[in-house]
Amino acid sequence: MAVGLEEFLDTGGFVPHGVCLLWRPDILMLHVASDVLIGLSYFSIPVALTYFVIRRRDVAFGWMALLFALFIIACGTTHFLSIWTLWTPDYVLEGLVKLVTAFASLATAAALWWLMPRLLALPSPRELEASNRALALEVATRREMEARYSSFFNNLGEALFIVQVLPDGDFAYEAINPALARIGGLDPEQLRDRRVRDAVAPELADLVIPRYTACRDSGETIDYEETLDMPAGQRVFHTMLVPVKDAAGRVIQILGSGRDVTERKRLQEEVVQTSKLATLGTLAAGMAHEMSQPLNVIRLWTENTLTRLHENLLDPARAERALKLVIEQTDRMGKLIDHVRTFGRRDGGGMRAFHPAHCVESAVELVRHQYALEDIEIVEHAGLAQLPVTGRPLELEQVILNLFSNARDAIVARRASGEAAGRIMVAVSDDPDRQSVVIQVTDDGGGIDPSVLPQIFDPFFTTKEVGKGSGLGLSIGYGIIDGMGGRIEARNVELESGSRGVRFTITLPSQPVSSSDREFSHA
Amino acid sequence: MPDPFHILIAEDEVLAAMALEDFLSFKGFRVTVAANGVEALERYASERVHALVTDLRMPRMDGQTLIREIRERDAALPVVVMTGYLTQDSDLTHERWKPLEIFSKPVNPRTICNTLNRMLGLPQEV
Repeated sequence: MAVGLEEFLDTGGFVPHGVCLLWRPDILMLHVASDVLIGLSYFSIPVALTYFVIRRRDVAFGWMALLFALFIIACGTTHFLSIWTLWTPDYVLEGLVKLVTAFASLATAAALWWLMPRLLALPSPRELEASNRALALEVATRREMEARYSSFFNNLGEALFIVQVLPDGDFAYEAINPALARIGGLDPEQLRDRRVRDAVAPELADLVIPRYTACRDSGETIDYEETLDMPAGQRVFHTMLVPVKDAAGRVIQILGSGRDVTERKRLQEEVVQTSKLATLGTLAAGMAHEMSQPLNVIRLWTENTLTRLHENLLDPARAERALKLVIEQTDRMGKLIDHVRTFGRRDGGGMRAFHPAHCVESAVELVRHQYALEDIEIVEHAGLAQLPVTGRPLELEQVILNLFSNARDAIVARRASGEAAGRIMVAVSDDPDRQSVVIQVTDDGGGIDPSVLPQIFDPFFTTKEVGKGSGLGLSIGYGIIDGMGGRIEARNVELESGSRGVRFTITLPSQPVSSSDREFSHA
Repeated sequence: MPDPFHILIAEDEVLAAMALEDFLSFKGFRVTVAANGVEALERYASERVHALVTDLRMPRMDGQTLIREIRERDAALPVVVMTGYLTQDSDLTHERWKPLEIFSKPVNPRTICNTLNRMLGLPQEV
């Protein structure tokens, strides 16, 4: 039953809707007024919605609001058409508008249901407010932390710096703290983002770049001591570099801190020096004796020769013999003087490789005669000791001398209590399995009370009577051995002769020790 | 010519002992050398000794002990001490050890010789 469009649009047979209302003016007015109000309201809503969407560009699902707008305009239009059809029976037009409205409503309703889960997921204003509050709190906390850390960074006396590792592997300063700026005479602003090589003096760059490189390549925290020339003079820093890595594990930043340990080093050296002087003091008496001996021989032989010369009884062979003796004695004195001179020297020289057996020999030589006078025999067991160790030979000699001196004191005390004692045994040997050298000093002085054995390396701990010992000898010795990467232990031993005594065992690693290892072992 | 005076030297430094022995022999003394206190005491016990010249620091028996032992046997034996250093607490300067003279090393052998001469009542050399 096909109907032509013209026929479909033909409204000739309809009566206006007002007829149904019998043209009663009150009913008509009611309908017209209501429809006008509804229509106008409907038309105003999309304007408001559109305005809202335009002004609030960030609103979620804005197109939904526009769909609503279309749907409401369509609704509003149906109401105006209702007024129109009161007088004009354009019901087809009205129907078509309703059809449009129906589609718009359907689409809007469908879209609304479809969107519902996502709309529900949108945070409510209250939730938003709560999360905003939390965020504000977080921001405040972070600001406070940042302020705290930046005050840390800015006020800490320790020199702090951040080095950026550039994509090409080179280094640039990201920031330095005021302490570093002050110590180093640097300007933080000028340094920022500049390559290390361009930012600091070439000598300084040559010193620090290898360290940064080591940290970058190993990806591990490193620490070391370095002596740097600063405007305030030469300073010693204990520096620590901490690598910061990206997700791929590449080091992108290095955090550095440098503690000025110049003063501490000086005090340490002073304590070592004090103990050295104390050891020297105990040796001075023996030394006076040692020096007076050759001097005496020289005097006696020259006087002899002179007397014979005066009496015309000097034959050349006798004169030659006397002069040779004198020369030998001056050699002997020269050696003693050298020894005392190097021993008293403040700076023990740099770390170097050496054979510990030489130090032991030298220490034995220094006290053997003096101890022999007190009936104390030093027995050497020279094993195979060929491995070199790294450190300062004079310091090791000082440690061994200190052990001898303690052994001597123990022996003297033992004798005072009526027991026999008088042997100090010293042995040096390699431990090829562990690549280390072992030095043992054993006495027969009765041993140490086991209850105090753990304390003997503590500073100022002494078993000697007031005024006899500073209590620093062993603790300094411990520090020296530790500084060489080795260890020193003490235990009581039963000797073959049946007597008891103490055995100190020094174990020194034979490979060179790096500065960082040394620092770690101190920690 | 009367028998020469017999001097006992206790000194552990062989070269010094030899030189002093040589010098004193040259000056007419009979000299015996001992390397330590024990040996010196043995020599003293076995022969007549007119004077002792001793070091203080020696192995086995030191000079101080040696002098004490000698004084128990002979209160009047002239003693000459040669020492590298004299400890402050040494009481050798006390009257009761006399006749005793102390010299610091290096010693002048002429002084030692003159002192021995004086203590033994012999004429002084110039």
